[in-house]
Parts: sequence; C-alpha cells; structure tokens
Amino acid sequence: MAVTRYALTSDPSVSVEVVSASLACCTLEVQAALNSGALIQVPESDAGPSVIVIAGTVTDALVPSVIELIHAHPGSKVMSFGACATSGGPYWDSPPVSKGIDQFVEVAAYVAGCPPRPDAFIQAIQELLSKRVS
Amino acid sequence: MTKSFTWLQVDPADWRGKIGQLRNDGFTFFDFLTGVDRENVEGKQMCEVVVHLAKEDLSDSHFLYTHVHNELASITDLMPAAQWHERECAEMFGIQFIGGSASGESTKSLLRHESLSLPPLRKTTVLAARVLTPWPGGAEPQIKEDGRKVGNASRRRQLPPGVPENWLKQ
Amino acid sequence: MKHSFIALIEDKCTSCMLCVRECPAWCISLDSHTIDVTEEGARRPRKVNVLDSFEIDYSLCMYCGVCIDVCPFDALAWDEHRALVTTNREDMLLGIVELGPSGSS
Ligand code: SF4
Ligand code: SF4
Repeated sequence: MAVTRYALTSDPSVSVEVVSASLACCTLEVQAALNSGALIQVPESDAGPSVIVIAGTVTDALVPSVIELIHAHPGSKVMSFGACATSGGPYWDSPPVSKGIDQFVEVAAYVAGCPPRPDAFIQAIQELLSKRVS
Repeated sequence: MTKSFTWLQVDPADWRGKIGQLRNDGFTFFDFLTGVDRENVEGKQMCEVVVHLAKEDLSDSHFLYTHVHNELASITDLMPAAQWHERECAEMFGIQFIGGSASGESTKSLLRHESLSLPPLRKTTVLAARVLTPWPGGAEPQIKEDGRKVGNASRRRQLPPGVPENWLKQ
Repeated sequence: MKHSFIALIEDKCTSCMLCVRECPAWCISLDSHTIDVTEEGARRPRKVNVLDSFEIDYSLCMYCGVCIDVCPFDALAWDEHRALVTTNREDMLLGIVELGPSGSS
C-alpha cells in the first residue's frame, strides 16, 4: 500500500499523508490528481493528518480488507472517492457489491462522480486540510 | 478482416457434431462462446448459447447458436480454448457443460462469490435492489381539481426499462 | 467538455419525466403539478406543468450523461466548473437550487 506525504503546492506548510486503496477505475483519477502539480511530495513525517482514499468498487468480499486497512491507520480520515465507494454507484443493484463504505466506517469526505475529476480530489484534500483533520 | 458471417441455429443434440464438422472444414479459430438469456423461446424459459468460430485467416466465420434449458454438451475436447468460456457461461448463466472441465468436481466458482447462489445473468435471478427500491419514474403528472398531481391511477403502469415485468409481481 | 457536474436549467424543464425514467441509477426524482395558462387570443387555456421539486442523488449518479442526452429541452447540461465534495452523504441529494448551473447563482 503506497503511503506518501503530500503538501499543497499553493501552501506547502500543510501536508497530508495519502493512503490510496486502489480498488477500481477511480484510482486513475486519484493518480492523475497526485501527479497534477497541485500537490507536491514531501518527506515522510509523523506530523499532520492522514487520509485514506477508498477509490473504486467495494465488493462484499473486500469489505474486511478495507476495514483492516482503515484500522491499520488509526486517526486517519476516510475519503469516499466516487459513486462506487459511496453507494455502489453503477453497481447499486448488484448483489455482491456493498452499498457504501459508510455502512461500516466513518467517512470524512464524499466526492461525487463516476469517476470524479482529479480537481475534485484536490478540492477534497483542500477541504480536509482546511478543517485541520487530526 | 472477416469477409463473411454465417448465423446458424443448431439443435442441442447436434452441437458437438456441427462444431466438430466446422473444425474439420478449417474453422479452427475459436473466438468466443457465451450465453444470452432469451427468457422466452416458444413459451419456454430458455437460454441461448452462441459460439463464434472462424477460419484462421478470418476469411470466413460462423456463429452457431442453440437454445437450451440448463445443459449442453461441452466442446472443450474439440476446442480447448472454450474452457474458460464454458466456465464463465456455467457460472453466469447456470448452464452445465456436460463432460467439460467446468462440470463435475472441478466446478469451483472462479468468478462468482460463494454467497451468490443463483446465476447472476439469468433473468430469473431477481436483483433485489431493483425490486425493493421504489422507481422514481412511476409517478405520472395528472391533473386534479386542485391542480396537484396524484399517482398514476388510471394510466397504464409505467415499468422501469430493463426490469423484467415478472420481477415486480413477486 | 469536462465531465464534472450535471446542472439543471430550471426554466427549460417541462417535467416530462424522460430523464427520471431513463436514468439507469434511478437517482433522479421530480414532482410537478399542472396549471392552466390563458394566453391572449387563445380559445382555451393551455395546460402547463410546473416543477415543484427536482432532485439528483449525487451519491449514486454514475455520470453517464443519459439524462442530458434524453432531455428534449436541453434542461440538463454538463457543468465544468463544479465538483461536489461533502462531509455528509445526505448533502449529496441536490435540489433545484443547488443544481443550478454555475454562474447563475
Ligand atoms: S448522469 Fe446518468 S446516473 Fe447521473 S443522473 Fe444522469 S442519467 Fe442518472
Ligand atoms: S428530460 Fe429534461 S425537461 Fe424532461 S423532466 Fe428531465 S430535465 Fe425536465
């Protein structure tokens, strides 16, 4: 699992650790956002918040792994990136797909879209940072 | 570029025979095998199985299809490439391929989670979410004296597109 | 055109329900009522649908654009200047005002 610390290019004094769970296509938009120039990679440190990005379809079979990942990063904020993670999205009627990760974990930010655009990811990070997530 | 396509319906009993014959006639390229739930074929709940075979240079190709209930003879000995396709068809459409690698003891689900007991691509497998969720399209604007719309009492009931009618009766 | 947000241009919507019925995620709902509009010179009043509410559940919307495509009145459109980020899932259910195109409000 890639864990990297990023700062906003516009305000390098605030940084956030991004743990990205790449479960389906949405993750490409997360990667695009991380490499868009709006965020810069900074050295690892323990200071500052951490965000776990759940990007993609969460099947019932995957739920235990997602919970495990979140528990492995105590204190992290969870971002539900895209319609699948939030509600099942295009798979809302599919029996093996969970109907939203907020059924089993607390979600700090929901990002709408299928997929959301990379700008939406940056916006979500900015909002989480301005709330000074701890 | 394939130059010609031939569609041919065959009897399930002739499935292997016809495919073997085509193979001997040079249709050695197995493209795919899949199912199509036709729901109702002459009043019976049937599933179609389609196979596409072509000449190696793709100059000619055949689509063979047959209607079955839930069993068909496997062709994996004639066309080894059909193994994965038969397996997928077995898991998704609930068709048993007799004598093939997707039948008998090796039928461990690869694509389908154990919790799903019914073949998901058959229309008899009801998607509970589509039945339990009220369809917002059911409302019909209607004029009452006070100008407010009421349900869709008098008009023919609208049905959500793509949802088989019999699901809603259950 | 950026695939960011679907906006509703309220004035153009005739409450015809086409988008509601075609949406594969069943995430649009609307409510309307009919009024009589009398125009000068017209023999009989004309029946006009008035939109009471229009909601898109953005937690479900799959951004397929089917609604934009089927709307005969161009009342729905991609809006490239908006993205929706919320802290509550309930806030993803947007009504007429929140769905207004950017720049109009
Ligand atoms: S974009 Fe698709 S899923 Fe979203 S509201 Fe329109 S039709 Fe429904
Ligand atoms: S299709 Fe267009 S006009 Fe009809 S209800 Fe939807 S938005 Fe309104």
